[in-house]
Amino acid sequence: MRVLSLVLILLTSLFFTGIIIRTKSILSGRKGPGIMQPMKDILRSLRKSSVFSETTSLIFQLAPTVYLATILMAILFIPFGNDKGVISFNGDFVFFAYVLALGKFFMIIAALDTGSSFEGMGASREALYSMLVEPAFFILMGSFALLTGYTSFAGIFGALHFGSYISYGIGILASFVFITIALIENSRLPVDDPKTHLELTMVHEVMILDNSGFDLGLILYATNLKFAMYGAIIANFFLTPGYEWYYSIPIFTAVQLVFAVIVGTIESFSARFRMNHNPQFILMFTSISLLIFLGVLLMTGKII
Amino acid sequence: MRSFFLLLFVALTAVITTIPAIGVLLGNDFSLTINGGETLGPMLLQIDPLSAWFMIIINITLVNGAIYGSGYMNAYENRRQDLNLHWFMFVLFHISMLLVCMLRNGFVFLIVWEIMTLSSLMLVLFDHDKANTLKAGLNYLVQMHLGVAFLSIAFIWVFVATGSVGFNSITIFLQNNKAYWVIALFFLGFGIKAGFVPLHTWLPYAHPAAPSHVSGVMSGVIVKMGIYGILRIATQISHHVLTIGVLFLLISAVTTLYGILNASVHRDFKKMLAFCTTENIGIVGMGIGMALIGKGIEKPSLMVLGYSAALLHTLNHSLYKSLLFFSAGNVYLKTHTRNMENLGGLIRHMPHTALIFLIGALAISGLPPLNGFISKFLIYSGFIETFQSKNTGLIALMILCTTILSMAGGVSMLTFTKAFGTIFLGVPRADIHRQPGEVAFLMRLPLYFIVLLMLAIGILPQLVLIPVYSVIESFGSVVPAHALPTAGETLTLVGRSSLLLIALVAVLLMIRKAIGRDRILNTSPTWGCGYVAPKPAMQYTGKSFSKSLAKLFGFITMENKKYDELEKASVFPAPRSYASYYLEFFETRIIEPLVRRFLGLFNYFTFIHNGKIQFYVLYGFFFVLLLIILSFINII
Repeated sequence: MRVLSLVLILLTSLFFTGIIIRTKSILSGRKGPGIMQPMKDILRSLRKSSVFSETTSLIFQLAPTVYLATILMAILFIPFGNDKGVISFNGDFVFFAYVLALGKFFMIIAALDTGSSFEGMGASREALYSMLVEPAFFILMGSFALLTGYTSFAGIFGALHFGSYISYGIGILASFVFITIALIENSRLPVDDPKTHLELTMVHEVMILDNSGFDLGLILYATNLKFAMYGAIIANFFLTPGYEWYYSIPIFTAVQLVFAVIVGTIESFSARFRMNHNPQFILMFTSISLLIFLGVLLMTGKII
Repeated sequence: MRSFFLLLFVALTAVITTIPAIGVLLGNDFSLTINGGETLGPMLLQIDPLSAWFMIIINITLVNGAIYGSGYMNAYENRRQDLNLHWFMFVLFHISMLLVCMLRNGFVFLIVWEIMTLSSLMLVLFDHDKANTLKAGLNYLVQMHLGVAFLSIAFIWVFVATGSVGFNSITIFLQNNKAYWVIALFFLGFGIKAGFVPLHTWLPYAHPAAPSHVSGVMSGVIVKMGIYGILRIATQISHHVLTIGVLFLLISAVTTLYGILNASVHRDFKKMLAFCTTENIGIVGMGIGMALIGKGIEKPSLMVLGYSAALLHTLNHSLYKSLLFFSAGNVYLKTHTRNMENLGGLIRHMPHTALIFLIGALAISGLPPLNGFISKFLIYSGFIETFQSKNTGLIALMILCTTILSMAGGVSMLTFTKAFGTIFLGVPRADIHRQPGEVAFLMRLPLYFIVLLMLAIGILPQLVLIPVYSVIESFGSVVPAHALPTAGETLTLVGRSSLLLIALVAVLLMIRKAIGRDRILNTSPTWGCGYVAPKPAMQYTGKSFSKSLAKLFGFITMENKKYDELEKASVFPAPRSYASYYLEFFETRIIEPLVRRFLGLFNYFTFIHNGKIQFYVLYGFFFVLLLIILSFINII
């Protein structure tokens, strides 16, 4: 059942942002919209016709599609416990990271295509932050490759059986890093605030100011997918060994739910950082992944 | 007419040399001995798989360069004599590079190496009436001769030790001696050509100064001659391979990050591309360093991965770098500026060039489904594979290099989104006197060809591995069969994934088109966030795009600003000027102070060259006297 993770991620993506918004509204004591509201918004966007800027070219029309395609492509690599993803080969996480980068590349040049100063600013920030977050991901996956002796997503997650106390610690630390990577990559608090009203302080939102209609719908859905994808990676840390779906699927759902609630909670109780503090914050996760790397070295007995 | 003969000649040379090269890669032998008379002795011309690989790269790049160049130089048709010299040098350059790969006699090798350097210098100096070009040419000339000096000492050293100038004697010498100094000399000499940090300072001057087809060819192949030399020596090292490998890997990692950080801040797009060459040489070097480490810890699979990454990246870089330089040349030809801050919106006027540049940018950022990803993937695989080693120091080194390579990938994404966005997208930032148009078909033809090759490597990488493996097998050390096929299987899957990605994009685009068919399409100005009088000058500039990165790494990319402070009395608006440019760390902080000290020191010796011929004759006399005395007391 190689498509299981794909199906589950697609299903989760329908609810993910809704849960985040619901958490936020409950925590702030509002009634708030229903869980399906974000999906309804996306469907409405998909049905609308578009307005394109006179400045834009082919790139602008191409980018949202490429962006969604790269995320779908990346999802194909995510395994589900011992079930491999649709595609799996040694070192597939490198492909995963670079294919996501391809999508970002197109979103950045699409933002520059509009010739707007605000969108250029957002594009510049997006490029910088995604550059800074890259090492954390690679060190983390490298550490797991070191720990398990496998170099593919499926191999790594298939072999992760929690044995010692250090490995629990590493699992929690790794989930922590992945949650923040997901927050940074999806441009959420505390790096970027999707609900901010001032273009000067936006990152992702300001890049898509000029997108409308079908393309906007694609981008919004891609964000949901990306969240569900990172949720699936985190869930893989907690899945049971073996093929017992009656355990795995509920665990998967629970982890995704907890992940969404955590995101909602973080967004309810924290404020966005000042822009010039963001690089420090993001680089901090590279050092946390280095800690994980050290922990793995300890566990495998490479250092005493 | 002239360009026809040029094309014919270059194509003939290419065909004549490619046929035996392919034969060698398929397992045949090729060698030829020419009698060089009394002075040179018998010269062995031999093509082994390593030479064959580089000869094919040279031929692809040079043929493309010749086709592109013959279109590019049409604009200079009125300078007949300069053109004659230029094309003559181009042919000489082509032949000398091929000979460099084939020659197995140290002294003749040095002579041809020199011909290669000088002919490329003449190619750079086409715009010899510009002071900047002359300065860049002089810089290139001096630095290359420093390299030749190192190489000569190394070859003479080997000659004195073994009594032979053949390349075989280098092999024997390196097997029997530790010879760190000789290896260091060879690496220094070839490293200057390749542009490893801190020997790279000629690159950012020479590449922008040359005409674009020459920059493409220089960046595509001439720096690769340095890599060729390094590979020749590196594969023969048999003592302390691990230490040398670790050092080499570290230097290459520094080169990678340093090159791309500098590339990200520059606004002269040819200078940016030149710094990018440094980055890619670093990536090739990482492959070589990894292979040496693999040899040192006796892990043949790592060695195979390292060498195949290095060889493949050499090919890949020569493809996309020449592509990028050629399309940058198109822009320069039509707009006469190299400053990207003056450009913008060119995708409307030059759609083909824009798309070609975009493909080159994607490839050089190492993104799938193009060829740049394949070699980067091999290097990552090597790093990850080393995690299984028992040596903790090595694991830490590999994590460091993985971090650096991933960061370099991120920075190159920033660099090329900036370059593409600023040059081709948005609206023009400054007035261009003439409306730029698309270049002639002849000039685009080689570009399409390169794009096709790049896509083919990206989708069918396993096929390119076949010749690469036959090169690696020729390196002498035994490669067990089981080390070979694993990477091939993985790469097959990588290629299929790339194809799937393209298909996915295509399907989604078709769906989008089908849905959007009966919808109304409106156009309106870009949303100005409430501001209704936007001007082109308000767009984000290349400088501002990379500003935050440059500030973060301010110790490597130092910004210099020139402006007059506002004074108390100057309250009324008046034209003011503000200039900012970036300096690089090694050149301003290390090399320039060093050179200044040396010059200061040499000032004390100016009395020696006082311009009087009598004195110079006297020096000669002293020298002869010294020789006589030394031989009299049996020192020489």
